[in-house]
Amino acid sequence: SVKQHVVRKFLGLISSHNIPVYLIDPLILGLVDKDIEQIRSSPDGPSPECKYFCAPRDFTTFALLDKTWKYEVGLFRTAEKMGFQWLKIINKDPRLDGMDDLSGTEIPLHYIFKLASHAIHLVVFYERSGNYLWHGPLRLKQHMDRKFVPFRKLHFGRYPGAYEKPELLLVSIDDLKVQIPKNPSSFLEEMSHSRFLECRYREARAFFQLYPDDASLDAVEFRKKAKSLLHLAVLTLNNLGVKFWLSSGTCLGWYRQCNVIPHSKDVDLGVFIRDYKADIIPAFQKAGLPLKHKFGKVEDSLELSFQGEDDVKLDIFFFYEEDDHIWNGGTQAKSGKKFKYLFPKFTLCWTEFVELKVHVPCETLQYVEANYGPDWKVPVKTWDWKSSPSNVQYNGVWPVDEWDDVIQIY
Amino acid sequence: MDEWKPNPAVKPHKKRSWYLTWKYKLMNQRALRKLCQTGAVLFLLVTVIVNIKLILDTRRAAYEEEEESAQDYDDEMLNVEVPRHPVSNKKVLDVEAYSSRSKVYVAVDGTTVLEDEAREQGRGIHVIVLNQATGHVMAKRVFDTYSPHEDEAMVLFLNMVARGRILIFTIKDEGSFHLKDTAKNVLKSLGSQVAPFLSWRDMWTFVGKKGGEVYGEKHAKSPALSTWGDPVLLKTEVHLTSVEDAECHWPDTELNRRRKTFCSKVEGYGSVCSCKDPTPIEFNPDPLKDNKVFDVPVAVIAGNRPNYLYRMLRSLLSAQGVNPQMITVFIDGYYEEPMDVVELFGLSGIQHTPISIKNARVSQHYKASLTATFNLFPDAKFAVVLEEDLDISVDFFSFLSQSIHLLEEDESLYCISAWNDQGYEHTAEDPSLLYRVETMPGLGWVLRKSLYKDELEPKWPTPEKLWDWDMWMRMPEQRKGRECIIPDISRSYHFGIVGLNMNGYFHEAYFKKHKFNTVPNVQLKNVESLRKDAYETEIHRLLGEAEVLDHSKNPCEDSFVPDTEGRVYVMFIRMEQEADFTTWTQLAKCLHIWDLDVRGNHKGLWRLFRKKNHFLVVGVPSSPYSSKKPSSVTPIYMEPPAKEEGAVAVPAVAAAEQT
Repeated sequence: SVKQHVVRKFLGLISSHNIPVYLIDPLILGLVDKDIEQIRSSPDGPSPECKYFCAPRDFTTFALLDKTWKYEVGLFRTAEKMGFQWLKIINKDPRLDGMDDLSGTEIPLHYIFKLASHAIHLVVFYERSGNYLWHGPLRLKQHMDRKFVPFRKLHFGRYPGAYEKPELLLVSIDDLKVQIPKNPSSFLEEMSHSRFLECRYREARAFFQLYPDDASLDAVEFRKKAKSLLHLAVLTLNNLGVKFWLSSGTCLGWYRQCNVIPHSKDVDLGVFIRDYKADIIPAFQKAGLPLKHKFGKVEDSLELSFQGEDDVKLDIFFFYEEDDHIWNGGTQAKSGKKFKYLFPKFTLCWTEFVELKVHVPCETLQYVEANYGPDWKVPVKTWDWKSSPSNVQYNGVWPVDEWDDVIQIY
Repeated sequence: MDEWKPNPAVKPHKKRSWYLTWKYKLMNQRALRKLCQTGAVLFLLVTVIVNIKLILDTRRAAYEEEEESAQDYDDEMLNVEVPRHPVSNKKVLDVEAYSSRSKVYVAVDGTTVLEDEAREQGRGIHVIVLNQATGHVMAKRVFDTYSPHEDEAMVLFLNMVARGRILIFTIKDEGSFHLKDTAKNVLKSLGSQVAPFLSWRDMWTFVGKKGGEVYGEKHAKSPALSTWGDPVLLKTEVHLTSVEDAECHWPDTELNRRRKTFCSKVEGYGSVCSCKDPTPIEFNPDPLKDNKVFDVPVAVIAGNRPNYLYRMLRSLLSAQGVNPQMITVFIDGYYEEPMDVVELFGLSGIQHTPISIKNARVSQHYKASLTATFNLFPDAKFAVVLEEDLDISVDFFSFLSQSIHLLEEDESLYCISAWNDQGYEHTAEDPSLLYRVETMPGLGWVLRKSLYKDELEPKWPTPEKLWDWDMWMRMPEQRKGRECIIPDISRSYHFGIVGLNMNGYFHEAYFKKHKFNTVPNVQLKNVESLRKDAYETEIHRLLGEAEVLDHSKNPCEDSFVPDTEGRVYVMFIRMEQEADFTTWTQLAKCLHIWDLDVRGNHKGLWRLFRKKNHFLVVGVPSSPYSSKKPSSVTPIYMEPPAKEEGAVAVPAVAAAEQT
């Protein structure tokens, strides 16, 4: 088959230049996953037929870790001699984007090697702060040949993406030796919601032009504490396998200024109630963060608060999904009054925040506007959680006999 | 390199009179007039429509770029690449060169490539090198040949320029006072007839091809000592050659392609661009066994001193164990030539739009460079920080590889530095010896990521503070009592002279005689004894073994230390409290070592070498090592000299920081 032939030639090309790539093609990995046990157990086994690489498709997708190779013209000369046509997509380096006025050389994000009717899509992954891998979006510049390949059919590049560093496995499939993610199904799972949002550095700079950053010692100290609290929280929740996102003030800080808001006094996270686990509380306690209060219950308006170092508090709000909106609850301890905060539905995207890979609502603007109103761009120092948010609704009062359960303060 | 500016001196008046005649004739013909009016209206309409469409397109494009631009792979970015210099097929260049007391300029084809009318600067001979095939400016220098030694630098530079290049000379103010015969002869060999007779305050311009024809020369003699020669303006034509003639024919390899790009753009780098037997740009030094710093990023902080950067990178890439992929050069400003140098060596470079001024600018550049380094190498626990005016020792990485674990494990350490402030030719001896010091020397050092991310970055001085970054890092609030590890013999050499904080005298006095290790693969001794507690044990052992010198003698005299080798001696000086450096400063002065502020101390102890003997100085009673002083010995006290008017210059120099 042409496809298998092209893949074989490509693998020959890159191994002749000592470039380590691994297969991330969702179609092939899907097929491989079905036979994974067998493939794992017979790394050298000859396969009788072309079962994987001959599957009908326009592309085969591979990944390349940026730091494991060095760009050289020689590779492309050899490729041309072998009959490949190739296309390189470069763009700004996002690792320098957050910095004032730095401009490096543009970095390669995607390569496409075309031979006959088949093409290889090589996605370049970069390691970023927060110990994750990032790939860029694929955008064509004006002078580029937009008919080079059917770009819309590519599996990677519609959005930038974030991934964990994969463990790799060298396997032999269809008589070709190739590296694949050790666990193809979890890679495919990860791929399905890998969309990454870059922080809005330009807007953040504009914000700081308008409202100069608080550089006082207090602010520096608070940011440091909030950052280490967030690092601890992320570690704890990730270990439990609980999905979460930046919420309330922490989300606003990311969206508006790409940093912790120094006068916010706490760190806020959101968790879908369906992801709630009973061992969240003991896990945090074990991590050195005692429970400060617990409001509501799993069925209604759950909210946990943990005590970090020196008065910095970690709030975890649980979100309840309805047909046309999502909400979380609030409780006033002294009166037993309940509040409800309404949000339009959202999905989750990855982003980088204080050297962490974390989730934020992809529809961040709607989320922030729901919470803080149209004037979210203006810093406010006095904030009343019961009345200031634009999406707050009064939600009745907890029955007195439930108070012991739904209002716990430590 | 300068941008080409459009020629402002376009004079269209001749065409205009012709146009008026034509217009006048038309006025008399009604039918034609009508036709013209309709035509004009139509033309206007079309223009308006085209413009509106253009505006709409631009706005839409701008809007789309604003959008998260996620919907489509076809999103177009509006950065159409336009060649920066219009390709000209012209074979002849018009060159103008102007020389006068207060202003010089050079124009090529109506584009000003040099203009200097600033007061009190730019004195001397300005030299411009043009590519003989393209006419592009390849180098621009000024040599203040009114002052000594600048003519030597000019000769050096002219010798490095490739044959066939076009050279343009012009004098501003005065260029002959220290223009020696050697330099005059070089100018003569280029074809100048006037150069051998150039004298006080003459004005002079000269255009010629290196090793070839002369395109013009003008000269105005100064009539008297107190006055300048009349301004001269030379206008001439230069015939361009073909591109093939202007290039060398190196074998077509990846390296040579980089070399070719570089050599067709810039000049003054000597043999790297020589057609026959060019100097290598890849060095392949021996790898280090068990290299602990192979994956440590190296940040090179640079300004606009491309020749320095060239020298620096050569030495860095020649050091054993270097990993070019970990090197990033951070250039303070959008300067092309430093970037050309970076690309010549196949390294990556990042430019930084200058924010703020002077020292604060350097400081902001440092911050941006360090932050970017840790962004680009998120796995790194350390970063090596270098500057463009350093030579790097052949065993620089070997030195770091052997000591870096200390920085990881010993929290009482602030940095590892390759530079010993007190390591002069006459005071440093042992390449395998390390010290702990309370001061931070900089000039090639290793920074721990956690120190930067958790402590320094969040409170780094903001631009309006106008602070020196290194002075700030030395402040007790930052250093918090931590120490740096340094070698006895420095692993870097500070060759920079014309920096922000340097002047020639200063460099001569404090840097030139610094010792620099040239021995490869030095095995450091006793690295473990550099840990906090072990070091104290080591010092006590050393003091226990040391012979007390004769305190009745003058410590400045050579005879103060016996004519031995390999012994350990100790002397005691008066030091009333921790910050009393009166005697130390005087001692440092007479020993001709760094005395502008206090460097190299550890708990009131200084360690150096005299006559190849280890020489310890203990400050009594402030130092905890004072107990080692025999009761019979009176600590030496040296009085600072009475302040005279002549001595006023010193504090001014002291303000110059050694960055």
